[in-house]
Amino acid sequence: MSSPCRRSASLAVLAVLALAACDREEREPRGAPVGESGPGAIAQGTLYAGEPSPPDPRRQEYEGNAYHLAQGKQLYVWFNCGTCHANGGGDIGPPLMDDSWIYGDSLENIFATIVQGRPNGMPSFRNKIPETQIWEIAAYVRSMSGQTPTAASPGRNDSLNAKPAEQRTPKAEPKQSTPGGPQVEGRQ
Amino acid sequence: MTARLPIPSPCSAGRGRDPCGAWEGEGSVIPRNLALTLPRLRRGPLPLPPGAGEGVARSASSRQWPWHRAALVLCLFALTACERVQHGIQSALDPVGQQAGRIAGLWWLFLAVLAAVYAVVLVLLLVAAIRPRRRRRLPPGPAFRPEEPIERRLTRGLTAWAVGTAAIVLTLTGFSYAVDRDILALGHRAELTIEVTAKQWWWQVRYDDPVPNRSFETANEIRLPVGVPVRVVLKAQDVIHSFWVPNLHGKTDLIPGRVNETVIVADREGRYRGQCAEFCGFQHANMALDVVAMPRDQFEAWRESQLAPAVAPSDERSREGQRVFLTSACVMCHTVRGTTAASRVGPDLTHVAARPSIAAGTLPYSKGNLAGWIADPQRIKPGSQMPVVGLSADQLQSVLAYLDGLK
Amino acid sequence: MDVTRVRRTGAVFALALALPAAAPAHAQDAAPAKAVPAASASPPDDGEWAMPAKNYASTRYSELDEINTGTVRDLQVAFTFSTGVDRGQEAAPLVVGNTMYIVTPYPNRLFALDLTQPGAPLKWTFDPKPAASAQGVACCDYVNRGVAFADGRVFMNTLDGQTIAVEAGTGREVWRTKLGDINKGETITMAPLVVKGKVLVGNSGGEFGVRGWLTALDAGTGKIVWKAYNTGPDSDVLIGADYKPFYDKEKGKDLGVTTWPPNAWEIGGGTVWGWISYDPELDLIYHGTANPGPWNPEQRPGDNKWTGGIFARNPDSGQARWFYQVVPHDLYDHDAINELILLDLPVNGTMRKTVVRPERNGYVYVLDRATGEVLSADPYANINSSTGVDLKTGELAMVEAKAPKMGKVVRDICPTAPGSKDWNPSSFSPRTGLLYIPHMNLCMDWQSAEANYIAGTPYIGAEVRMFAGPGGHRGELSAWDPVKRAKAWSVKEDFPLWSGTLSTAGDLVFYGTMEGWFKALDARTGEELWRFKTGSGIIGQPIAYRGPDGREYVAVLSGVGGWAGAVVVGNLDPRDATAAKGFVNAVADLKDKTTKGGTLYVFALPSKR
Repeated sequence: MSSPCRRSASLAVLAVLALAACDREEREPRGAPVGESGPGAIAQGTLYAGEPSPPDPRRQEYEGNAYHLAQGKQLYVWFNCGTCHANGGGDIGPPLMDDSWIYGDSLENIFATIVQGRPNGMPSFRNKIPETQIWEIAAYVRSMSGQTPTAASPGRNDSLNAKPAEQRTPKAEPKQSTPGGPQVEGRQ
Repeated sequence: MTARLPIPSPCSAGRGRDPCGAWEGEGSVIPRNLALTLPRLRRGPLPLPPGAGEGVARSASSRQWPWHRAALVLCLFALTACERVQHGIQSALDPVGQQAGRIAGLWWLFLAVLAAVYAVVLVLLLVAAIRPRRRRRLPPGPAFRPEEPIERRLTRGLTAWAVGTAAIVLTLTGFSYAVDRDILALGHRAELTIEVTAKQWWWQVRYDDPVPNRSFETANEIRLPVGVPVRVVLKAQDVIHSFWVPNLHGKTDLIPGRVNETVIVADREGRYRGQCAEFCGFQHANMALDVVAMPRDQFEAWRESQLAPAVAPSDERSREGQRVFLTSACVMCHTVRGTTAASRVGPDLTHVAARPSIAAGTLPYSKGNLAGWIADPQRIKPGSQMPVVGLSADQLQSVLAYLDGLK
Repeated sequence: MDVTRVRRTGAVFALALALPAAAPAHAQDAAPAKAVPAASASPPDDGEWAMPAKNYASTRYSELDEINTGTVRDLQVAFTFSTGVDRGQEAAPLVVGNTMYIVTPYPNRLFALDLTQPGAPLKWTFDPKPAASAQGVACCDYVNRGVAFADGRVFMNTLDGQTIAVEAGTGREVWRTKLGDINKGETITMAPLVVKGKVLVGNSGGEFGVRGWLTALDAGTGKIVWKAYNTGPDSDVLIGADYKPFYDKEKGKDLGVTTWPPNAWEIGGGTVWGWISYDPELDLIYHGTANPGPWNPEQRPGDNKWTGGIFARNPDSGQARWFYQVVPHDLYDHDAINELILLDLPVNGTMRKTVVRPERNGYVYVLDRATGEVLSADPYANINSSTGVDLKTGELAMVEAKAPKMGKVVRDICPTAPGSKDWNPSSFSPRTGLLYIPHMNLCMDWQSAEANYIAGTPYIGAEVRMFAGPGGHRGELSAWDPVKRAKAWSVKEDFPLWSGTLSTAGDLVFYGTMEGWFKALDARTGEELWRFKTGSGIIGQPIAYRGPDGREYVAVLSGVGGWAGAVVVGNLDPRDATAAKGFVNAVADLKDKTTKGGTLYVFALPSKR
């Protein structure tokens, strides 16, 4: 065997071997182990006494996981999120695909908004949606404005195709985030 | 479990061997018919028929595996001879409807013809292999000499073989065509229309009626009057599924955005098992449905009972259960007609306690199985859309009392 | 143009259409050629504006003529007033005595302005303090369409489902009655109507799986006198011995139950959020019923009675007299709640007492208001989803290819979900005999999906994307001749028209556009005579009144919003074509044309000094 031939053969073998390093994404239908996620675990503002607390570890668990994001997308429709917020453009509720966030843009803040409801019309889903599914919905909501890794974000729409899929939505950097704060222009 | 059914079932008919063993797993949470699929999810060893298992167990250390694999294959063949397959609730070889009968007839015809062909080929092959090769010295000259008698015989033989093969294929095609035609002809006589929508991983079943408020919905079960052709309108919500009740008919796909139709008729009372026959994801294997063929009057009585809204809870425990149901995650997905629960994500539970099974044929219906299912659906059917709701033990008991009353 | 000649030729034309050639020649002279408002429902104008529709016949016509085709060019602002609420201002101001009453969208503040003083200072404010959460169950912006005045009291509805009586002189609350439950999705946005000492109120929430009703409250005490549901058994719908519909399809026992899948009527919609008219002579009120829920028609096989139709009821008992279902088994969210104008007009040579309704599905319906018989139904807008109404059976013929199907996108359906024309009312001028219909020219793509009922959240099951119809213009004002059954003229507008119209004896038609222009047209030709740019888009209802100084004033609220203006008030994202149930896609450029507002504008001619 000639040496270029041998080189390419060994490269091919290496490439095949490299495949062995690939790991299929974990699908954990039960969700990550549930820890403390009551109001005490969620910061409503962006100002901390001392060093800022680290973000909730679940952020990685849910936002980087295609399975959870896809489940979130499905639940977003099933639990009528989309009938108020449309496919992210908004309707009765504010849009979710843009860069303004009335009650905070972090996964924990969105979780809190869904659980607690908000005074100007956002219903509370407390006890109505299991925690795992709320995390999934919250992660999907962040994917609508391109906040999640594109490799994990949903890549297609099953419906009218009203807008490009989350994977192709440009990231809208959250601006003037005012968690729990007063009215943002034009919002409830 | 079958005692719950108001109709005589083949399981109680006493046929010597128990034909419905899979449905009677009272004690165990996982019925026997799942034994082949569930462990795979757990990455455990594959359970095998008795006899074969030992061989496989040893195979890891022994070098005799080809022999044992052959034994395993033989065992699988032997399975087809089992009465359970021939007289079963999920067997194409035990037809109870005209179409399934024609299909089974066709199957036997194909089997007979093809087995004969196979046998002939094998015999010839064997003869060719065993017969000592006669070495003849060829005279000089061209290799192909058509005038030689042996060549003429060979030509005639091969022509006959080709003509025979063509004739067999064409005849079988003709039979297949005739059977297809017969099967479709039945469609014009359908008296009842059922709309089946496949969802991951269960079946939504809707009985249509010209009077809208005489239509109703159920899940994972189809009941039909014996001898009445029933049109089944097939839809899918998410991915492609396939509707297959082997005892009644062949497969028909359910495709999102498309409406398919099939007609089934059951000539004999009994309960049959339908199964999704197109891989549709995580819990494809546990996407079954019960088809119950019953006498006309019993069917009508059942239909009337299904039309009624859910019975109001009668005792304190059930009332509390209803309250928990309506104020917890249950209400986000399920319908109980007569209450404010009217979501359509999951199966309609208005008469859940009157159904033969839960979780799309995964478990036979019993209060205990229902408890296991609600408490931890992800253990019984991992990946299913039913989440772990996290009810307290007390809440769970109340909800159970309530749901068990929804006959 | 010679008006009388136009009318006469109009009549001849109509008769030629209606009568066979053998018709006696003298029929021409016997039938007056003109439509006139029901006399008992439209008393002579007193210069006030005591109900949003002006009178029980709902003509929205003022007999004042100081501002006319000759003088309108000089029209200028007399005074303005900021409501302090910058959501969609759909209400009509009322003027009674020397006071103007205006109501805002949520939080539904009620203001009384003293017209006797220069600049009309605030006399009093009433703040009903409705529940803030109600904003989450208002389908299409949290609007309010006006208040009613009777016997020294102002009657108002709040978004969270209350009806409140306020003393007109002082702004003091007299009574309040809680009628709706926001946890079921019930709100109230309609303007009440006071008939024979009863306040008529209906609920909103057809997009939330509520059960629609109309109720009558005692104007003195606020107690419920009767309540008629629009789905369910006959006893709930108040269908009894008096009920005599014209068509066989409206006859039968408990159709409000049997034309639905089991129990679906309990969350079936059929709300009453639109307009009510009253004929004192026949002693009947007329009201429409809104769309059935959910939008996805495949989830509710059957005719879905009594949604999408028109009821005539006895105002004292609420008992139904007749019903006509305009859209049986509604496919497109075509609420039948638009204005009902009571006109007497010649049909086939005889004068008939009719009720005229420019319907959401694109047809102008003329019904006999005593019997419910459909006398005519003619398209006034671009329609491709239906082919017409069979006058024998009253059936609307739908186009199968445009019917929504689950799992499929049905493209280019005209008209759209808000219809050729939504709630914003037409006006009728007896001087021209024309109906001035503000409407839209939009089409849509629709995909049905399974709707999940979760109490307090929307129950829709459809994704919609709207866009401009043929011609590219999105709005249109049409002058419709109900006798000729044809358009006299029409004016195209870039944006959909979401404001009402006002016609006056000065032969003018007033209306506003979503960019904020307030316009006056010549009622006979459609020629634009005057325009004024207000601070925000106009979706309100203009009125005309005689001020304490004897001069004529025209008033309108400016402040964009409603379903059409959701893109501005909600600051919605037009990248999503389905935002605001698809309306955003049709008006994505509105954000570049106007912003939110909430200001009253009152116009008058310069005072002669």
